[in-house]
This record gives sequence, structure tokens and C-alpha cells, in this order.
Amino acid sequence: MSCIERITELVECARNGALPNSELRGHLKVCEGCRERWDTEKQLNGHLRAMRAGAAALPSSQSRREALMREFERTHRPRVVAMRIPARMVPSWAWTLAAAAAIVMAIFVGHEAGLRGRHMTSHSVQAQANTANAVLYEASADASALSTDDFVAIPYTPPLAQGEMVRMVHTEMYPEALASMGVAVDPEWTSNMTVDMVVGEDGLPRAVRISDSN
Amino acid sequence: MQPSDEELYRLMKNGNQDAFAQLYERREPALHRFALHMSGNATVAEEVSHEAFVQLMSPSARFDETRGSLESFLYGIVRNLVRVVRRQGPVAEPVEHSFDPDILGELIGNETTAALHRTLRDLPERYRDVIVLCDLEERSYEEVARILGRPVGTVRSRLHRARALLGAKLKRLQTASEVVSA
Repeated sequence: MSCIERITELVECARNGALPNSELRGHLKVCEGCRERWDTEKQLNGHLRAMRAGAAALPSSQSRREALMREFERTHRPRVVAMRIPARMVPSWAWTLAAAAAIVMAIFVGHEAGLRGRHMTSHSVQAQANTANAVLYEASADASALSTDDFVAIPYTPPLAQGEMVRMVHTEMYPEALASMGVAVDPEWTSNMTVDMVVGEDGLPRAVRISDSN
Repeated sequence: MQPSDEELYRLMKNGNQDAFAQLYERREPALHRFALHMSGNATVAEEVSHEAFVQLMSPSARFDETRGSLESFLYGIVRNLVRVVRRQGPVAEPVEHSFDPDILGELIGNETTAALHRTLRDLPERYRDVIVLCDLEERSYEEVARILGRPVGTVRSRLHRARALLGAKLKRLQTASEVVSA
């Protein structure tokens, strides 16, 4: 075995903190070069141990950790992705069609407005009458008052506040739903019934009545 | 049983912050020490270990499980960053840093050991790597070979060479101190 091979073994012994075997110990007695290397290796181990201890004593940075976690949260937050249709996907005739549709819509709206203006008087009178009734009920904010004029107060709903505005809603309901609201239902009623409903500002119905149109 | 680094990484990629925190707790201290020994500067070490995790969480992170472990990947990032910083020259210390950049030298206490640590910084990177990982981080030859992507034999021979260089420096330091004391 050459000195180079022996030194390789000595280095491993020094690293593992082990003693050299008898053959190596015998060699160390006669070879100054290997003995010097063995001594240096042992000293080196001591210094490396001190470096290890010094590095282990380093404080870890809590602020860095927190910054990283914030960064993680920021980068992994779900994002709303706006979809954009590429211009070349929209055929050129689509813009012409859209413009034509807008013109037709404008003419239709104008025409409707004109018709409405002509029938305004009769409709508005009726609406005002209904609103007047609703406001009357609201003003008293009393369930028994709502029960007048064929209206039935709907149980288990919060009372109307003083001054609360109400709306009259004209709609259709199943006879079963009407029964659950306390309305006397004729067993012969099989189809939906047209009703008037008093609805509070919170959107909850407060009273209901069978509409005259039935 | 604890999840592997790679499992934590997959969870992290799906937005699991706990997995990221776990990965950080597990790997950051060793990476920080590695960066410190490799750069010899506390500020650089802190910046570099932080940046390694920033890169890991980035959507453009190129970690591929089939090519190696996540640990090797992280060490690779740190080595590259330290290399870049060293190439740029001395690092200016921020004013708000109250500690000495040579914090390790202070913690070591022994003058010869501190001088030896400075010598370590000046060793060629291939020797510094193995000294830090094998002797300061106490990793096995196999682990270091995996981290560095080198054969075990190469790691062993580089370590022996590195220790010989440090040993020579140690002898010079001792001779110098003997001359001073005489």
C-alpha cells in the first residue's frame, strides 16, 4: 500500500473520528509525511466542528419567512381572467348586422313609447288606485287593516315599519300556495289563480287577495 | 409518514400554502447555511436562500421530478445565485443591517478557525461544494453525489483534495502565529 492510499484511509478515519488500524498506526510511526497529515486532519476536524457550531447558531429570519408566505398568497390568489375574442374571429358582416339590429330596436322602442303615451290615462288611474290601496295599508302598518278590502294578511311575516312603502304585485299562484297563506281556497280551483300581492320594501309579501280577473 | 419534498412541491403548485411552509421549514435552514459557507456573507446568504424559494414558487419554475430530486434543484439554484453574486464583486451592506457580514467569523470565536473559514471561501467552487456538504453539513458521499449530480468517487477525491488544501493553509496559519508569538 502506498502513502497516497494510506492518506486516503487516514482522511476517512479522521472524518469518522475513528482510530487508524494497526497497520496504519505502525506506518505512522515510521513515516513523517503521513504522521503530519494525520495530525493536520485531526486539527482540521476540530476547526470544521467549530464552523458547524457557528453556522448552527445563526438566527433564522422570521421576517423573510413571513414575506415569502405573503408572496405565495399573492401569487396563488385565484384570478378572474377576462376572455377577449380576437378581432379576426368576428366576421366583418357581424358589425353591419349589429348596427341594423340597433336601429330596429330604436324604432321599436320609440313606437312603444308612443302607444303607451296614448293609453296613459286609463292605465295610470288604475295603477294609482292600486297604489293608493297599498299605501293605505302601509300607513296603518296593521295586519288587520291589510285584511280589509279582500286582502288576507300573510302570517309569519315581519310587520311593516311605520312609513314603509309597499308595492302591489299582480301575479299568479297555485291554489295550494294561497291556502298556505291563509286564503280560503275553493276545492274546485285547479289552475293558477291571479292574485294581487302587497309586497314590502324588503321584498317580502305581506298580504294577498284573489284578483277580480278570476 | 412525512410527505416527500416532491409531494409537497406538487401540493404547493396547486396553491397549498401549508405544503410550501412545510417545504420551507424543512429545507431553508440547510440552504441558508450552505449559502453562507459558499458566499461567506450573511446578507448574501439570506438573500440567496430567500430567492431560491421565490424562484421555486414562481410559475416559471422548471423543476422536473424525472431529472432529479427537489433538494438538488434547490441547491442548484443557491449555487447559481451565489456564483452570480460572487461574480458581481463585493456586496454592499444595507444600512439597516446591524450585524457584521462576517457573522460566522464572530460566532466561531477562534481566530484560526475564522481564518480557515475565509480560506474556504477562496477555494475553487468544486472543492468548496464538497467541504460544505460533506464536512459542514455532514452529508454522506451518496447524498452529496446526488445533490451535485456527480459520481461518488468524484465527490470523495474532491473532498480529499479540498481537505489537503485547507490543511496546508492551516499549517501556514500555525507557522505564522508561531513566528508572531516568538
